[in-house]
Amino acid sequence: MTQRRSYAVGTGLFIVLGFLALAYLATQTTSLANFDEGSTYDLKARFTNIGQLKDRAPVKMAGVRIGSVKSIQFENDKLDALVTISVDKRFDQIPDDSSAAVLTSGLLGDQYIGIQPGGSPQNLKNGDTFILTQSAMQLEDLIGKFLVNGNGDKKSGDADSASKPAPDAGQ
Amino acid sequence: MTDHSDLRQAADEAAAAVQIRGLTTVLNGKTIFDALDLDIPRGKVTAIMGPSGTGKTTLLKHITGQMRGDAGQVLVDGQNVPKLSREKLFRLREGIGFLFQNSALLTDFDVFENVAFPLRQHTRLPEVLIRDIVLTKLQAVGLRGAAKLMPSELSGGMARRVALARAIVFDPKLILYDEPFVGLDPIALNQVLKLIRTLNETLGITSVLVAHELSAVQQVADHIYLIANGKVVADGKPADIAQDGSPWTGQFFGGQADGPVPFHYPAGDYATELGLAGDAS
Amino acid sequence: MSAQAPRRNFLADGLAQIGDAGLFLPALLAALPRSFRYFRETVRQLWFVGAMSLTIIMTCGLFVGMVLALQLYHVLSIFGGTSSTGTVVALAVFRELGPVVTALLFAGRAGTSITAEIGLMRATDQLSAMEMMAVDPMAYVATPRFLAGIIAMPLLCSVFSLLAILGGHLVGVTWLGIDNGTFWSNMTANVDVWKDVIDGMLWKGLAFGGVVSLIAVHQGYTTPPTSEGVAYATTRTVVASSIAILAIDFVLTAFLM
Repeated sequence: MTQRRSYAVGTGLFIVLGFLALAYLATQTTSLANFDEGSTYDLKARFTNIGQLKDRAPVKMAGVRIGSVKSIQFENDKLDALVTISVDKRFDQIPDDSSAAVLTSGLLGDQYIGIQPGGSPQNLKNGDTFILTQSAMQLEDLIGKFLVNGNGDKKSGDADSASKPAPDAGQ
Repeated sequence: MTDHSDLRQAADEAAAAVQIRGLTTVLNGKTIFDALDLDIPRGKVTAIMGPSGTGKTTLLKHITGQMRGDAGQVLVDGQNVPKLSREKLFRLREGIGFLFQNSALLTDFDVFENVAFPLRQHTRLPEVLIRDIVLTKLQAVGLRGAAKLMPSELSGGMARRVALARAIVFDPKLILYDEPFVGLDPIALNQVLKLIRTLNETLGITSVLVAHELSAVQQVADHIYLIANGKVVADGKPADIAQDGSPWTGQFFGGQADGPVPFHYPAGDYATELGLAGDAS
Repeated sequence: MSAQAPRRNFLADGLAQIGDAGLFLPALLAALPRSFRYFRETVRQLWFVGAMSLTIIMTCGLFVGMVLALQLYHVLSIFGGTSSTGTVVALAVFRELGPVVTALLFAGRAGTSITAEIGLMRATDQLSAMEMMAVDPMAYVATPRFLAGIIAMPLLCSVFSLLAILGGHLVGVTWLGIDNGTFWSNMTANVDVWKDVIDGMLWKGLAFGGVVSLIAVHQGYTTPPTSEGVAYATTRTVVASSIAILAIDFVLTAFLM
């Protein structure tokens, strides 16, 4: 019986070791490691164009990750994208005149939301909406604009600029 | 010798532990049994002999239901084995001991656990009781001192005695021995012989013995069947069977190289194959 | 054997093996309820199949991670992207190398031992002896090994991948001087727990574990009861498992993407 017992103990150790390895990989090497999902608050931002932004994309301030994209919805009445982001509770000093922009990491990298702090003494609270937003930079539009400008056709270039990335006034 | 079963049937009906009626088996196009009739009397040692390849081991497998024939009945204690469900077959097998030619001890377990294996699988006996039963059986085969050895540490004769202890751990009513004497030195052979006889005499266990060693079989068997070409070609008491005068017994017990079992495997004409036939070219 | 031996038709042989193994699976699963009685046996097999494979899995995982980091560092330095070394090591290991290499090693280490052991039990009549003792060898021998293989593989995959990442860290951070924080933060920013870790470790691990142990148990159980037969069956376990692992990997990857 002692022989059988030692098998059971060894097998138990093996299973525990395996699950510990899996748990470590799942929590420490993935996006789960970045912040505690439990203590966050939600903010909203509207964009005319979010480009390739995806759920769970990082939200950064001064280059540091402070949260992630929670959901992306299309607003039927306003014809723009409503992005809800969750921000870690620790970072509760974001001025309410800060602006949110859809940025790209590197030239061709993934897109994320970057927050430029404003100067207001009031801070954003759970459920608040960013006043100022900047839509995604579209590489195709940039190239198109460059080509158009290069041809000296300024008129069509100006007419096009309405849909160009530029600070949009949020509602 | 074709009417033996008809003559004895009425007398032995009650006494027979195993009755085989009209058993026909074809394996890979080769007829192993051709309407075989055979009775194993209760409480006796019956030997089944015959040339190699006549299906003696196959016959044992029919009795235990490991193989099913193409036709005929195999009655063990009145139950027709080929028709039994899996559960009933397993219950029947718990009452049958089987000694394999190569002992078939489980390599993972030591001698004690090997003998205890059937008990652990089929009973919920307390450890103390299992220990007592196993040691009793090992004592009976003279190997109580070897309880902690692994099967790889045993000699062929010891392994066979351990296998025998395992086969009798449930006190079966029927034991089947498949070639129990093969590969044993004379001492081990006599030990196994003594055990077979003791088990039969003291416990009254019905024993079926498949073997070729005539001298050994004559010491222990009450009745001998000689099987060849899928039929019983001779049967009788050990003392008489060699003298029954048929060519089969003459060859088998007289030890002649040629006879009803030919020395030459069937082949074409020798001279033709060598290219020596006069008018071939 | 000799010149007169019939020529083997490899395609037909292969198809017959696949069909035979496919038919073996329902028999194996049918014995599942009966094998719960032999739970201890499953635990014991998990020890032999899983725990005894740890040494080879851990050693190989470490080296795979180290060599990956070394190679990637030099390739990525061309683009000035050495900070992504950790990310690429992690993605390569989670998505492909972890499950596939673990499964191949598992087939070589545990699959062959399963086949050889069951084959030997067949050759020495131990399986028949069990039948005679009214113990179903399918439920006592085959199914516990099959189950143990399925349970062990995801765990072995995880251990392999963990060691591979630690190996990558050793080479990348300790020897080649990538910043420790950059190594981890780039990895955590780009590895997704569901798409990368769970898909790779769990689903691929379970699938490969099932396939390898099915092949191993089937080959052992149906081997001709001779020493020649056992040797041949062992070889076939490795060959068939390797092909099956890579083929199934392709299909699974296409589905999980």
